[in-house]
Amino acid sequence: MTELLVWLDEPAEGHANMAADEVLAGEAVRQNRPLVRFYRWSQMTVSLGAFQPIATAEAEPAIASLPLVRRPSGGGAIVHGSDLTYAVAVPRDHPWGDRPQVLYDAFHQSLVDVLGSRGIVARLHPGRGLQENDEGRLLCFDRRARGDLVVSGPSPDGHKLLGSAQRRLKAAVLQHGSLLLETPRGVGAAAAHAGLFELFPEARSWPEGAIVAAWLDRLTATTGVEPRIAGGPFAAAHADKIAAAAGRFEDAAWLRRR
Amino acid sequence: MAAPQFAKTHEWIRLEADGLATVGISSYAVEALTDLVFMQLPKVGRQVKAGESIGEIESVKAVSDFYAPVSGEVVEVNASLPNQLETLGNDPYGNGWLVRIRPTSPAELDTLLDQAAYDSLIKSQPH
Repeated sequence: MTELLVWLDEPAEGHANMAADEVLAGEAVRQNRPLVRFYRWSQMTVSLGAFQPIATAEAEPAIASLPLVRRPSGGGAIVHGSDLTYAVAVPRDHPWGDRPQVLYDAFHQSLVDVLGSRGIVARLHPGRGLQENDEGRLLCFDRRARGDLVVSGPSPDGHKLLGSAQRRLKAAVLQHGSLLLETPRGVGAAAAHAGLFELFPEARSWPEGAIVAAWLDRLTATTGVEPRIAGGPFAAAHADKIAAAAGRFEDAAWLRRR
Repeated sequence: MAAPQFAKTHEWIRLEADGLATVGISSYAVEALTDLVFMQLPKVGRQVKAGESIGEIESVKAVSDFYAPVSGEVVEVNASLPNQLETLGNDPYGNGWLVRIRPTSPAELDTLLDQAAYDSLIKSQPH
């Protein structure tokens, strides 16, 4: 059984979180096993997908007051601060490192199961396809890709609560995911998507740690990985490497690469 | 036309009669990515080393790097490809080529996989 080393990290700023995740990918290769960090953000921040045009984000008044950071992973922009973010890093030769959908579905289906066990009916979206021009939508939670976790909503596409995106490196796959817990604060209506707690008020009483624990338990049941909580925060254990990597994510050249 | 060789990172390369090497992405890799939406190619004139990332390609939910199979100078890029990404899926070994490289260490070609070895690699990929 493959061990999955797990960190439940303290909130940090955007560039520090992205740097930690880049280091996480390197560590997954070095340790030759999957690693995952669950974390929050110390301030409301918008993360852009690796190739999203920054002009599109800067022109969106709903997020105008928020700092921006660019992820190494793809997908749409996410307003962080009221979400639970995860980053999982997997060696390319691990079964999760092959086709992109395998890792999406492993994390998303297991959360569908967790919600279902608590009376919340969620499902994986089949994907809208390129003809729907989802790439033209700035925000991740306005898009629907195959495997996105949705619950019943006013449209047939449902209401998206969990989306993920990957960076596929030579030796590792890094997958970012965002579980929207609450409506982001301080944003305009266009970015004020309802979260799990507004849609299902009973979820507000669930301890965050319990959600993560149930999620990991379900991953074990469905994929056979064996999660083990690491001692201490990932950031503290790899402070030097993260500090070295953080510069790139603070650099305007990276943020404005497109 | 010479048969293509392959890198373990799923690029193909074909040495042409003029001494240049044409590089692309294997049909297996293109199919695995699905729904391509954006591509960034290297600049002409760039000196690259074997195994170095020379560009990025984004599908709906994933960004992947692609790598130089050999060292050399990028002498041409398929500039129309980013606006016609469907060509990668329709004709990955023809009009879907990415770059042409003037190899500086042709012996590096000997380290790459032939079609049979690459097919074996694909079959051994975890699913």
